[in-house]
Amino acid sequence: MLKKELGLLVLILVIGFITAAINPQFASQVNLMNLANQIGLFGLISIGVGLVIITGGVELSVGSMFALLGVIFLDLLVNHELGWPLSLLITLAGGSALGAIHGLLVTRLKMQPFVVTLCGLLLYRGIARWYTADSTQGFGYGEGYETLEWLMSGRTYNIPHTFIFLIIVAAIMAVVLHRSVYGRYLFAVGKSEEAARFSGIPTNAVITMAYVIAGTLAGISSVFFVFYTQSVSPSAHGNFYELYAIAAAVLGGCSLRGGEGSILGIVLGTVLLQVLQNLVNILGIPSSLNFAVMGAVILLGVLTDQQLQRRRQHRLATASADARELAKEGTAGAAV
Amino acid sequence: MIGRRSALIGMATAVLAGAIPVQATVAQEKKTLAFVVNVPADFWQIARRGTEKAQKELPNYNIEFYIPGEMSAAAQKRIMEDLLAKGVAGISISPVNPDNSTEILNQVASKAALFTQDADAPKSNRALYIGTDNVAAGRQAGEQMLKSLPNGGKAMVFVGTMDAANARERLQGIKEAIAGSKIEILDVRTDGGDQTKAKANVEDTLTKYPNIDMLVGLWAYNTPQIYNAVKAAGKEGTLKIVGFDEDQQTLKGISDGAIDATVVQQPYEFGYQSMIYLAKYIEGDRSFIPADKQKIIPTQVIDKSNVKEFSAKVRDLLKK
Amino acid sequence: MSHTLLELRSITKTYPGVKALRGVDLTVGKGEVVGLIGENGAGKSTLMKILGGVVKPSSGTIVIDGVPKPALSIKDAAHAGIAFVHQELHLFENLDVAANIYIGREPRKGGILNLIDNAALHHRVKPLLSRLGVDFKPDDPVERLSIAQRQMVEIAKALSMDARVIIMDEPTSSLTLTETDKLLKVIADLKAAGVSIIYISHRLNEVRHCADRVVVLRDGRQVGELPKAQITSAAMVRLMIGRDLKSLYIPPKAGIRPGGLEVQGLVTSAFPKREVSLSVSRGEILGLAGLIGAGRTSMAQAIFGVDPALRGRILLDGEPISIKVPADAIARGIYLAPEDRKKSGLLLDMTVAENISLPDLSRFAKAMLVDTAREATVAKEQCRSLAIKTPTIDTDAVTLSGGNQQKIVLAKWISMRPQFIIFDEPTRGIDVGAKGEIYALMRALADAGVAILMISSDMEEVIGVSDRIAVMHEGQISGLLERSRFSEHNVLMLAVGNLAKEEAVVHA
Repeated sequence: MLKKELGLLVLILVIGFITAAINPQFASQVNLMNLANQIGLFGLISIGVGLVIITGGVELSVGSMFALLGVIFLDLLVNHELGWPLSLLITLAGGSALGAIHGLLVTRLKMQPFVVTLCGLLLYRGIARWYTADSTQGFGYGEGYETLEWLMSGRTYNIPHTFIFLIIVAAIMAVVLHRSVYGRYLFAVGKSEEAARFSGIPTNAVITMAYVIAGTLAGISSVFFVFYTQSVSPSAHGNFYELYAIAAAVLGGCSLRGGEGSILGIVLGTVLLQVLQNLVNILGIPSSLNFAVMGAVILLGVLTDQQLQRRRQHRLATASADARELAKEGTAGAAV
Repeated sequence: MIGRRSALIGMATAVLAGAIPVQATVAQEKKTLAFVVNVPADFWQIARRGTEKAQKELPNYNIEFYIPGEMSAAAQKRIMEDLLAKGVAGISISPVNPDNSTEILNQVASKAALFTQDADAPKSNRALYIGTDNVAAGRQAGEQMLKSLPNGGKAMVFVGTMDAANARERLQGIKEAIAGSKIEILDVRTDGGDQTKAKANVEDTLTKYPNIDMLVGLWAYNTPQIYNAVKAAGKEGTLKIVGFDEDQQTLKGISDGAIDATVVQQPYEFGYQSMIYLAKYIEGDRSFIPADKQKIIPTQVIDKSNVKEFSAKVRDLLKK
Repeated sequence: MSHTLLELRSITKTYPGVKALRGVDLTVGKGEVVGLIGENGAGKSTLMKILGGVVKPSSGTIVIDGVPKPALSIKDAAHAGIAFVHQELHLFENLDVAANIYIGREPRKGGILNLIDNAALHHRVKPLLSRLGVDFKPDDPVERLSIAQRQMVEIAKALSMDARVIIMDEPTSSLTLTETDKLLKVIADLKAAGVSIIYISHRLNEVRHCADRVVVLRDGRQVGELPKAQITSAAMVRLMIGRDLKSLYIPPKAGIRPGGLEVQGLVTSAFPKREVSLSVSRGEILGLAGLIGAGRTSMAQAIFGVDPALRGRILLDGEPISIKVPADAIARGIYLAPEDRKKSGLLLDMTVAENISLPDLSRFAKAMLVDTAREATVAKEQCRSLAIKTPTIDTDAVTLSGGNQQKIVLAKWISMRPQFIIFDEPTRGIDVGAKGEIYALMRALADAGVAILMISSDMEEVIGVSDRIAVMHEGQISGLLERSRFSEHNVLMLAVGNLAKEEAVVHA
């Protein structure tokens, strides 16, 4: 289980060392902290989307959620002067509510996650644009949220708070996913919803909860993104971010068939994606190649992983043949 | 079942195309004029105020404003086809991909009056282009760069995508103006319209070139993201920033002194003049069309000296 | 046996570390039905793979039509007219019958357009179907066919390839009693038409019915061959396991006790107009027989809360209980070992320990976190007490044999103080030896005071294991049999309803 993550880590280190060898500034503190900031921004939502992928679903609407929740947050904070704690709370609650709706549509009404969240993608983007009449929202001359700004975009010991927050969330989610009853249920539901149901697991609640967590993390992320870009253009903000999140989760070992994945893997997947984006700039590779570099590395990464998996499965198959042999002898002996 | 599904598809198409007219068609006998933009942006909010003023002066016309959902020639084409089907009298459009849209533009021109605005399509049969000369605007920006860096230096340019005509023309103008000077443009970094990426590009540039002298933002959101990243890196005042367009944060940056200058267009005039001249054209008046069929609305340089009054004017225009 | 069609001479197959076959001889004559039996792992599937050309023997000779060869290729096998009807059917549910029969060999037309000539296709399929006497048409979609009908599609496919030898691997494991009868009739017809059959099955009754000769494999060796006159269940079992198998029936040690589960007027979604009433006492094993689709599994799933009942009452020890989801049933000690082990009973990609702890995970948790040490201890205990053969408790369930997988399903429940357990087809696809262990377990549970309902389509099992038999027909209980009245005939009569008496008589 840890082998996959180790492979990813090695890949990141190799790419990092090569980049640093070509341009030492890659390893400079300033750059690493900028990188950490980006990882923090994109990591949270990758974890959320990763959980949904583990249930065997998919969450395509997070980019649009960023736009919608972002403009709502700014509107509450700047135009309605609601005060930051309440604005933040409402934004988080909004994310959770959207997640809950997705979860209920998927579990109760048996709709396909792809369809539900694709409609979310269209719907939230549209509402965000209509709500703002297509105009970019910014902080303008609003005041009174310096504490929040520090929390969301400040640094402590020069470490960006986005990154610190990601580490905290990742640690909590790692315990939840890999050690808790809920985590075990999540994997079970992802592997086989039917077998999970026959074991008395409340599968609908387990799946819905994954969407709620993803929605809540999207809510927090939207506030982080708002403070990073300082403005939200409702038509462009967060476009394609759902794909970054899915890419990070897949790189990190989540199977789109469900039932597989780890928090460490998802975080490392995010790290790899952001390192790639960063090295394109640091090495002066033309920006136009940005996506191509990303696509190529994901493809190679997943391909290599699959080959290693296949080799492992081959070994397993041999082992299981032995096991059957053993079982057969055993049963023959134990027969009445 | 089928009915419900097709209704859903219809809805989805409508959302995708963004082809929702802002003003409902009121009376059929009134002639319709359409103002079609390229992508949702604040810039067009100002243009809309211009069309609204024109509407007041043109009671016999019905003016509609179209914003496609995404920046694509396909979305625009769909809007134009729908307009033709409705029997529009005149269209003023900012074509996303002018070189490859000649066919549909000519189709429109054969059935209605066609102007281009903001971005020209010189190969098409459009009657008139109303808009900025982006090369000239680039030259103005280049002059500001020369003013900010009289002894030369290294500059970096940021933009969404370089396949947009205005990005290419602005850069061309900048290069013309700084030709022969000691200002060197190191690279152009693109972000595909993603503001998070735009800011990260600036951060990475500051890492890669710690001693960079100047940052230039070609699109409206690039300048604010330059300003944000420079501020976050604590490098305000150590380098020069020149940009385009009138984003609120850009104007704030000029007031603070962190941004040297921005070159602004007059979208209000795009909206107003497009509609007024379209009406004249439909009524048979051709006298206002110059020989080169281009009506250039001059761009303006905003710096510390005039930012205050300009900000006030923009705020006024954006107020509902 | 007029002339020999196919002959295997001293076939040996070694895999690294394993001798799968050791000098096996097998001959098949034209129009002969050869029963091939043996426990799982005895070498049957390797032998079949060699016949199909998928695996090459390490040594030995294969003679077809008098021509000896060291090995067959897949092409050779097809050319020789060797066809398979697999245990797990390989059909495309989304296509129709004709398309499935000629998949990959469709008659074409239209030159480079490469269109399928549907008229020609149906023209070719129709006679095949009428030869088998089936009740479906070439353009029926396969997804609407029953398992038995699908099997007929596979047989039609074999015939369409001019098969001379059809190898049937556990063809009746998912069939009802009448469907099995029908298949045996088709086999007889094929035999009369000169087609040879190699019939592999764990159901010795059927083998006895249809085989002209039985070949028994054990541990890769051919341990015996029984001519028609000597084919008896006892003889076959003796050869298969190397000794006599005692009667399946283990009489209860403790006897029936008060209390148990009672179902009153239960209405399931499968039969919304029929009511089921049934009671199972503590200490007894009630066999539930019936045709597939009679509503047995629906009733089990309603009691367990997977597909809750529309109406009706469920009483445990006389006390009415409400079951809306499986968790409600589990909380009362009412458990289900489902029919489809691999899909519903187990998480194949999870470990033995994770599977065992899953339904009662909160018991293994401290502060919502799983205590893996306790989980492992309990899993090891269960593996020992149920004699589950697994390399470690961290082995994925998928690698174990069917019998051991079924024991894992039981291990999940046994540690949770069961009151009432439903076994739905508990030994499907499990070999004879492991079956005995499962039966012993069921009896031990009953003796410990658990009420047990065993749904089974295996006549030997229903009659051999149950204390009483209830029979279901179209969503209702059509009758109850006490041990003294147990017989295949009586069970069948009730299973097919009173209208189908004649068919039952024919079978008996």
